[in-house]
Amino acid sequence: MSETLEEQTFDLIPLLAILEEYKNQKGAIIPILQRTQEIYGYLPKPVLKEISKRLRIPISRIQGVATFYAQFHLKRRGRHLIRVCDGTACHVKGAMKTVDVIHEQLQTPPNGSSPDYKYSLEIVYCLGSCGLAPVVVVDDKVYGQTEPDKLVRQLKRLE
Amino acid sequence: MIDKATITIDGQKIQARYGQTILQAAREHGIHIPVLCDHPALPPEGACRICLVEIERQRTLQPACTFPVSEGLVIHTHSPKVIEARKFSLELLISDHPLDCMTCEATGNCLLQDLAYEYGVTGDRYQGEKHHYPIDTSNPFIVVDRNKCILCRRCVRACAYINGVEAISVFYRGFNAYIGFGADSTMQDSPCEFCGSCVEVCPTGALWPKMAIGKGRPYQLKSVQTVCTYCGVGCQIELQVRNNRIVNVTGVENAPVNQGFTCVKGRFGNDFVHHEDRLLKPRLRKYLLEGGKREGKGRGEWVEVDWDTALDIVARKLLETRDKFGSDSVGLLTSAKCTNEENYLMNKLARQIIGTNNIDHCARLCHSSTVAGLAISFGSGAMSNSIEDVTQQAKAFFVIGSNTTEQHPVIGMKIRQAVKQRDAILIVADPRQIPLVDFATLHLQHKPGTDIALLNGLMHIILKNGWEDKAFIEERTEGFEEFKAVVEQYPPERVSEITGVPQELLLEAAQLMGQNKPMAVIWAMGITQHTTGVYNVFSLANLQMLLGNMGIPGGGVNPLRGQNNVQGACDMGGLPNVYPAYQPVTSEEAAHKFAQAWGAPMSTKIGMTVTEMIPAAKEGKIKALYIMAEDPMMSDPDTNHVRECLEACEFVVLQDIFYTETAPYADVLLPGVSFAEKTGTFTNTERRIQLVRQALQPLGEAQPDWQILCEVANRLLATSSSTSGRTIDLQAPYARWDYRHPKDIMDEINALAPSYAGVRYERLERGETFQWPVKDEHHPGTPILHVGKFARGLGKFAAVDHIPPAELPDTEYPMVLSTGRVLYHWHGGELSRRAQGLLEIYPKPLVEINPEDAQRLGLNGHRRVRVTSRRGSIEAEAWITDRVLPGMVYANFHFPEASANVLTHAALDPIAKIPEYKVCAVKVEAVE
Ligand code: SF4
Ligand code: SF4
Ligand code: SF4
Ligand code: FES
Ligand code: FES
Repeated sequence: MSETLEEQTFDLIPLLAILEEYKNQKGAIIPILQRTQEIYGYLPKPVLKEISKRLRIPISRIQGVATFYAQFHLKRRGRHLIRVCDGTACHVKGAMKTVDVIHEQLQTPPNGSSPDYKYSLEIVYCLGSCGLAPVVVVDDKVYGQTEPDKLVRQLKRLE
Repeated sequence: MIDKATITIDGQKIQARYGQTILQAAREHGIHIPVLCDHPALPPEGACRICLVEIERQRTLQPACTFPVSEGLVIHTHSPKVIEARKFSLELLISDHPLDCMTCEATGNCLLQDLAYEYGVTGDRYQGEKHHYPIDTSNPFIVVDRNKCILCRRCVRACAYINGVEAISVFYRGFNAYIGFGADSTMQDSPCEFCGSCVEVCPTGALWPKMAIGKGRPYQLKSVQTVCTYCGVGCQIELQVRNNRIVNVTGVENAPVNQGFTCVKGRFGNDFVHHEDRLLKPRLRKYLLEGGKREGKGRGEWVEVDWDTALDIVARKLLETRDKFGSDSVGLLTSAKCTNEENYLMNKLARQIIGTNNIDHCARLCHSSTVAGLAISFGSGAMSNSIEDVTQQAKAFFVIGSNTTEQHPVIGMKIRQAVKQRDAILIVADPRQIPLVDFATLHLQHKPGTDIALLNGLMHIILKNGWEDKAFIEERTEGFEEFKAVVEQYPPERVSEITGVPQELLLEAAQLMGQNKPMAVIWAMGITQHTTGVYNVFSLANLQMLLGNMGIPGGGVNPLRGQNNVQGACDMGGLPNVYPAYQPVTSEEAAHKFAQAWGAPMSTKIGMTVTEMIPAAKEGKIKALYIMAEDPMMSDPDTNHVRECLEACEFVVLQDIFYTETAPYADVLLPGVSFAEKTGTFTNTERRIQLVRQALQPLGEAQPDWQILCEVANRLLATSSSTSGRTIDLQAPYARWDYRHPKDIMDEINALAPSYAGVRYERLERGETFQWPVKDEHHPGTPILHVGKFARGLGKFAAVDHIPPAELPDTEYPMVLSTGRVLYHWHGGELSRRAQGLLEIYPKPLVEINPEDAQRLGLNGHRRVRVTSRRGSIEAEAWITDRVLPGMVYANFHFPEASANVLTHAALDPIAKIPEYKVCAVKVEAVE
């Protein structure tokens, strides 16, 4: 019945432009969410509610789609996405050590972000480059046979 | 085209229809295939794999619930392979399921448990990872325990395909998937409307009604099928009773109106029956016992007495009043909450024994303008079509002045389904942004009190473009030319000016109406509660004749009646101008008929309406009032004036289940019973007569209202014959009051009310249901009125002009107040404020106000406002929302501490005498 107010406010103008574009297209939730995520970096709840209200699509349906696909993020993410592989090969070669070091030194918990939103950390399962284990992908760049401390130094150098 | 397919199931050859699934065909032939995710009321999902069957020449097992039939299929439903597969699916489900059946509420009512039993699955084969979800108890009605959820998605589909709001969905996937609400909030904070449809279909204990927790196992409960007592939709519900208490309520699966589903009130609002405010013993004012007279305004102390004392005094006082001041000094208010049988008796009491036509009820305040208007236009004042044909066959809906999803929720749900599932067109005309607008093709947000101008404007455009049904007008109507001449005066420019609706929208709406037939018109209080109420109704009748939408499925004039039995109360003669079945009191023939039947002279003078009786009490013309289950202090306009009138009335008998807001002004209180404690019939908005079955013994010393009326009447008859007053010939065929059962009363109704002639208890008990007129014992009833011919012969076009509301805003009272109700409450709130969950979810009165006005008044966030009209003033919390237009406020009349009716005025429609609740002028101030 009642709605909880979210503290943060968002600039909705770019969103409205997207919605205008898809106004007459039925079942366009996925492309709309993709475009929305491009703008805001993730899918903030108030923005999803706005989409629901304006397109008259029930919020639960949007939430369902947004949580079903791994490509969508419901939490704000850092500027750099660190994906640490914990697939079998990488696990054996100590992937979790990398995770711990990143958590400690960059204050970035697994599946969370650093307080300044510079980094986000995700754990994934096999990136298909097991030969290079342990593997870490930062944004789109692949780092093979990583050593935790060296990796952290490289990460600190990013903008 | 061949539409039959012969298939063989377990060696039995059956004829299935193409388009059916194997499961549907099997069900139709009574062959059992177990299911979990499938539910007959919902589209198939194919998720649980319990219904797997072996089909010859198919390599793998197939789900029967989604596999379509085709010629020659040979199917095995219980082969060893099938059984093994089912066991496997069940093992997996149970591996992530708490095994606490001993204390689980669903025990005995759980499909998973039944299947585990049937297949001997104990849950010790796989030890999977188990979820530990917190239990969501955020809302007053439904407990959500995701640990027991098997992700069958029945709830998701029920919310989408039955309710339509889609509050539930599955979030995430795989092992992480769970049932979620809204934007992953609690159920309370989601768009859920608590209709409980999801609870109805959930096969496990994952969704459970809060009120039923700990109240008993299914086999300890007695269930009784009856009819919901809230609104005129007439949903059938099943009361589950233990130790004379209602512990749970479910829908009745094969009910013609609701097919097993309900709204929040019908399912979760029945605990009022056991509320501590119930009157359990008759009460009198002390002065009556002492034989004294009442002094001044006050009535003095109450004393509880036995029934005989109370009834003797009521009879004596009524008789005294009648014999001293004449029959017309007594007024009777009958009740749209009571049964047909009880309303019939009240009408008989008034006309036979008292000898007056001063009988009325709250239909005056809701649809009297509909009844009067449609009777003049078509010859019958009732809803012309059925809920079923309207919601399934209308290509377009025009909903004007009806907040359907909140006031007639189950019909609202069906309209949403028509829009969502078959792209029906929905045009909503309402000054407020009502919830239905979210589903509408167009919303015409016209200013309050401009309905005639709006309708004339639409018809103007229809005529200009030649979209009218010329043949229909020619063959079936009269008065077209005069009507046309008036409508010509309403070009879009002018109409837009009066109504505030942009011209383009008018054009678009008229075009949709002209090009999508059949269109059903649906309305409620937004049309009727105006000084122009009858004229508004004429305009809607005009529109449907113009478009040729009368007498056909999917069309018609569909006023949605408010109270559960307001239709029946009118049918039974609970009106000052008609006997049962609308036989006019002014007709010599009718008077003769009833004089013969009841053995007493009949008055041919039309009686007073409730809106006349109450003021007449102050003027001294009405000396005694007998009020059965009505609450004029909450429901009538201008509360302060009503109070003065009731205070002035010499003798007031109130028969009700609670100490209502009217009770302080009564001299005698007679405790009646709720719908759950008696037998009888209700007639719903579509004229359907349904059986109300007794589920509880009357609480305390309370008595069914029909019995109380008989007691009063018999006392009056006994004394009557000995005094000078009226003489009643007890030898007349229907003079006596010796009914042993409501069925006996219905026998009398059968004989005297032609449209109820074939309404027999034996038929109702057999499960037959029908809509009046039911002409004889074998007549199937009449789903659609005016087919081929109007009840009055030709339909009558009425030429009507826009007339502004009686009280318009001015500098002192600059805003317009409109009044109404909300989903979670009902009428004066007598019942819903005493239903714990309903009160919890909507605990206080809110005044809706537009953000623009709120800013101007300096309101921000939640603030209190004072709303003042010429008649009174209320204080309440403001709800700042664009549901209302700028310049408008909206208040409800559910709460005595801030009832809108303190503000409303008693300006009446000249024909129907209905008050203009929907428009009055007010000023609004912020309260510090
Ligand atoms: S109670 Fe009704 S509205 Fe709420 S989630 Fe269940 S089906 Fe949907
Ligand atoms: S809550 Fe009930 S109906 Fe909904 S998916 Fe779970 S088990 Fe099925
Ligand atoms: S729609 Fe009306 S009749 Fe049906 S359950 Fe709700 S209140 Fe009762
Ligand atoms: S296990 Fe890490 S890349 Fe395959
Ligand atoms: S009942 Fe057929 S798959 Fe669930």
